[in-house]
Amino acid sequence: MELKIYHMYPDLLNLYGDLGNITCLCQRCEWRGIKAHIIPFSKDREVPLEEGDIFFMGGGSDWGQNIVFSHLLGYQRIMEELIEDEAVFLSICGGYQFLGATYIDAAGNKVRGLEIFDYETVSEGGRLIGNIITKNVLGLEPETLVGFENHGGRTYHDQKPLGRVMVGYGNNGKDQKEGMVYKNCIGTYLHGPLLPKNPHMADHLILKALNRKYGLSKLQLLDDRLEYAAHHRVLELYSPTK
Amino acid sequence: MIQGNSLRYYTAVLAGKTASFILKKVLKGEASAMPGKVAMQIYPNILQVVDQRCQKKILVTGTNGKTTTTNLLHHIIKSQGLRVLSNLRGANMPQGLVSSFLNHQDAEYDWGVFEVDEGSFQEVVKHLKPDYVVVTNFFRDQLDRYGEIEKAFQDIFDALKPLDTTLILNADDPLVSSFKSLKKRNIFYGVGENQFSTLEEGVIESRFCPSCASRLEYDYFNYGQLGGYHCSQCGFTNPPREYEITRVEYSDPGYHLKFKTENVKSMDLDFSYDGIFNTYNCCAALSVALEIGMETGKVIESIGRFEYHLGRMETFQFPDKLVKVVLVKNPIGLGEVLKSLSLDGKVKSLLMVLNDNPADGTDISWIWDAQVENILQVNNLEKIYCSGRRAEDMALRLKYAGQSPATLNVDYSMESALEKVLNEDVEIAYILPTYTAVFHIRELIIARMRGSSKFLSYLRESLKNIKLKG
Repeated sequence: MELKIYHMYPDLLNLYGDLGNITCLCQRCEWRGIKAHIIPFSKDREVPLEEGDIFFMGGGSDWGQNIVFSHLLGYQRIMEELIEDEAVFLSICGGYQFLGATYIDAAGNKVRGLEIFDYETVSEGGRLIGNIITKNVLGLEPETLVGFENHGGRTYHDQKPLGRVMVGYGNNGKDQKEGMVYKNCIGTYLHGPLLPKNPHMADHLILKALNRKYGLSKLQLLDDRLEYAAHHRVLELYSPTK
Repeated sequence: MIQGNSLRYYTAVLAGKTASFILKKVLKGEASAMPGKVAMQIYPNILQVVDQRCQKKILVTGTNGKTTTTNLLHHIIKSQGLRVLSNLRGANMPQGLVSSFLNHQDAEYDWGVFEVDEGSFQEVVKHLKPDYVVVTNFFRDQLDRYGEIEKAFQDIFDALKPLDTTLILNADDPLVSSFKSLKKRNIFYGVGENQFSTLEEGVIESRFCPSCASRLEYDYFNYGQLGGYHCSQCGFTNPPREYEITRVEYSDPGYHLKFKTENVKSMDLDFSYDGIFNTYNCCAALSVALEIGMETGKVIESIGRFEYHLGRMETFQFPDKLVKVVLVKNPIGLGEVLKSLSLDGKVKSLLMVLNDNPADGTDISWIWDAQVENILQVNNLEKIYCSGRRAEDMALRLKYAGQSPATLNVDYSMESALEKVLNEDVEIAYILPTYTAVFHIRELIIARMRGSSKFLSYLRESLKNIKLKG
């Protein structure tokens, strides 16, 4: 078995340790004897996207995001088709915002998004920064997801969220929602990076991809003591009861 | 005209010194930015007094290498018998600069050499007019403090615009070398292709042309985005280096270097600190020293004798092993320190301390941007201990870098983790702490050394008293 993992714009969208998600997916495949091909995709380094099993897109600086955005508009249709066809997408922070309809910047300018989803992100001044703990709505065990968020934009939508905020801000600091789920596409503000300390989330993405490609319904278990020790350390340090 | 003798000024100095005294003697803390902060509350223009008292001024800014370059320059200038004022301990915001002045306060200095935080540069140069500005590099630092290197770059660029100054620039960092567009007097330094250069790209650095945003082509990388680059679209490339390290050889401890300048064909130089990043720091200080007219032979000699005790890079000799402490604070630094470990063939153990206090950066995700995979090239590594508030995160990073979990040990308590690493039967123990852990670790090590030397003198005394038969 093998999976093609596309790392979208690794040289432009590369903030806050998001690279760790790729490292994590790759290792957890390899440890199970599943070949993981990491395929970088970027400006001047374009490769066909059709064959991808998992797509990862992080956030970048304003400068990086502007370059990405004008480039990515040319791939809007193929991305939409892939998402409808249940390819696995993990989009974090800027990547999550891109998938929506609009981004309204600090000056009030409307910037068009990829319009794959109809949500809106508004820059409201003041960044939402800190450790975050949510309860996932995917039914994954354990229920908690832990991470670190750092975003200026507030995202508003009626999509199914990825989680309910226990500690931190989430999509907008108001409605307790964090992230978005549509088919196998996940958008979230969780850096940390997300996957290494949430191995249940990582395996969820790997299994979805293997299921789509090979009809697999179960993954071989791994020794995740260290992963959950790090997960629990965040709960211990930053849970509200403490 | 600033009154360096007004009542208000003296009150400010007195208050600052009192704060410093309380901090050091009563609270037993590190004298840092606090005394300067107190003094500036009372006399906000105190930096201008500093400006007037130093005949010539050099500011060092950029992401990495500020503290080492500043300390090395201070050492070189002082070795020539000149009077020099510096913030040697890394407190690099305006208050920190003032604190360093409060500690000495001579009537006049020949040179002021100050490291300045990228975020404070604009504020500092309003008061302190530099004759030279050294810009080392732009990497991503503690993330939640600045977020973007483009901002640091732009802030410094804007602040430099109105200044009448000479720029000493790292030719090998495309962002830094693009400062030549400011059309100041520019001096470029750098490190040529050498045995540690590589063609392997790191993943995270920005490698786009600062003038046309096309992808830069590299002939080699020295570290991060530092290397030999050119833009095939607009021709942007490394400017010729006035001062260049041409050869780098590992010679435990430190590096043996060769350098050339416009006037010198090739000269030898020793610098006792490992890592290609230290070669750059050495080159930066060397360039400034020669540029300001110091004699080459004397500069080489004082660089060879340089050592500093800050906990950022410090070696302690224990009876049975060496203990080496190196501060790690950002992705590029961590990756490079691990790379430098691979040159040391000694049997070793390693302690990594990861904290998430505000001064470390509360977001510890940066360890995933670091090339921790370099750990796999380190030979004779017996055991790795992880400590600090986020010990598991460090261990997890090492696991995903491919390090066998069986070699990883997690212990929150810095004291007991240190105890364990010192008890390992190895020739050298490496300790890599983040910022807030450095001081604590250093104290613990020194306490241990006192303990062991007490034990040794006890042993010596006991041996003296043993009466041999006959």
